[in-house]
Amino acid sequence: MGTAAFSAGAASLILFGVFFGLLALRVPVAFALGLACLPMLIVEEHLSPMTLVQETFNAYNSFILLAVPFFLLTANLMNVGGITDRLVRLSRAMVGHFPGSLAQMNVLLSIFFAGISGSSTADAASQGKIFIEAQIKEGYDRSFSIAITAVSAVLAVIIPPSILMIVWGGVLTVSIGALFLAGVIPGLLLGVVQMATVHVYAKLRNYPTYPRSNLREFLLAAAVSVPALMTPFIIIGGKIFGWFTATESACIAVLYAGVLSLFVYREMNLKGLHQALVETGKFAGIALFCVGTASAFGWMLAYYQIPKVLLDGVQGWGMGIVATGFFIAFAFLVVGCFLDAIPAIIIVGTILEPLAKAVHMDPVHFAMIGIVSLAFGLVTPPYGLCLMISCAIGRLRMVDVLKDVTLMLIPMFGVLALIIMWPDVVLWLPRQISPEFLK
Amino acid sequence: MSDAISVARGRWRAFVAWYAWALSWLLVVSVAILIIPVSLQIFSRYTELIPSYIWTEEMARFLFIWMIMIGAMVGVREGTHFEVDVWPRLGERGGAALRIVSGVAILVLALVFVWYGIEFTRFAWNRISELAELPLWLIHIAWPLTGATWLVFQGERMRDDFGVLASGQPT
Repeated sequence: MGTAAFSAGAASLILFGVFFGLLALRVPVAFALGLACLPMLIVEEHLSPMTLVQETFNAYNSFILLAVPFFLLTANLMNVGGITDRLVRLSRAMVGHFPGSLAQMNVLLSIFFAGISGSSTADAASQGKIFIEAQIKEGYDRSFSIAITAVSAVLAVIIPPSILMIVWGGVLTVSIGALFLAGVIPGLLLGVVQMATVHVYAKLRNYPTYPRSNLREFLLAAAVSVPALMTPFIIIGGKIFGWFTATESACIAVLYAGVLSLFVYREMNLKGLHQALVETGKFAGIALFCVGTASAFGWMLAYYQIPKVLLDGVQGWGMGIVATGFFIAFAFLVVGCFLDAIPAIIIVGTILEPLAKAVHMDPVHFAMIGIVSLAFGLVTPPYGLCLMISCAIGRLRMVDVLKDVTLMLIPMFGVLALIIMWPDVVLWLPRQISPEFLK
Repeated sequence: MSDAISVARGRWRAFVAWYAWALSWLLVVSVAILIIPVSLQIFSRYTELIPSYIWTEEMARFLFIWMIMIGAMVGVREGTHFEVDVWPRLGERGGAALRIVSGVAILVLALVFVWYGIEFTRFAWNRISELAELPLWLIHIAWPLTGATWLVFQGERMRDDFGVLASGQPT
């Protein structure tokens, strides 16, 4: 497009300048992204603000994104329908006798929750209510309780199903089934690392330990949880074996959670159902509206061929696959501090994709580096949704929790480095189960 | 005279509150209904109970668009659209002033949605969708309506903020 009035450099200066300027004035991210497109849309002869309307429409007119409200609804139904309570009991029976019992249960419940829900924010909100005050009452430090709740919540988007994987698969055309499988091992590794961190904290600070559950208690807790724990197998199995599309499998998850809440555990009433629906609609509306303006912003970047210019610049450094992996992780980590994960995938994922291709990085490997890095961004200020939610529930400011979050993130960065340097951590499982998904 | 104004203002506030309440119900309905076409799509593929409708996918997408736009409207009313906070704690007046500045930005995007949304709707006036053969303006009109709703909701929030700015007291 040689007719553009601005060079790539000038255009990106205006686009990012306006965007960050508005962010600093506390304009909501979604609005700042849309408004940042306006000056160029008005000045440029061949464009008009109509592009903004058209691009947002195109972004929402997507069957894949429809999975997002479904996964949110599944999580909300679990909470009002008594599913979460059963899983708490199972976590108690499994890890209650480890030092720092309640915090260990917090992490394990996040792993279970992650296998059913694909939303970290839903995890942070529901577990914040369950654990933060309870932990403080038992003598855990407030900042530790908030930090471990927020940090363990990020597992929800790494362990399948995951909203981020669906968005990534949809936007960058990667097999969502392969991404689901690729997330299992990194997610479990991160969970183990977090439990080890809790162990060290508990030993150093003498956090309380519950007596060991006997086998009968464990079997009872496991038995009532079995129907709930079937959910991930239905979702992931349905996707991998090609029974359902991603959106359909999310819809199945909603129906299944609804049936469990209404007929099996019988704890949901009409008020609970209404609450689950309204919370889903509000959160999905806000999160997805941002997808539209982010797509418009991404469209502007593409119009000025900014990704290509960046790629040419970075290629001059002559990085190998590992260095490129670290570069990608670094870019997503920085962006994740300022942007929600979904718009970050749309904008930065598409910018970095040619870079990953140039060093022959597997698209699934690239996706997992991006998703894990962006998941860490959920707990990094100034814009870390999970941390914001946990801090709001625990009534502390983000700065006061920062030290504990950083301590917990350090071993998790180790797992990220492992994923970058050793692609088999993510590629082994998809290769075993469904090699046809990997190109 | 001032009585008449305050009565009118009270009625307007009551109307806006009612409108927000109605929207949140529409949101509940749109999320609940979304499940239907997608379920139909699955069940028609694996059972003989119902024929496989061709319009389910398109229907789901159009409902989804409305759900997003209504959610975005409610988000402005409740001030829940995500923002990045890099400011130290501001006083009542300082906070109100900053909210007014960011509110202006929301109003600008609202005006863009109204103005270009009307053109967008007119553009779709005589067109129908490919599968379900729905009139397309039914979907496109979500844009100008969203813009207009933002103007109403954000306008009311900013009125309150001007009150705080003048008095220094929270409302």
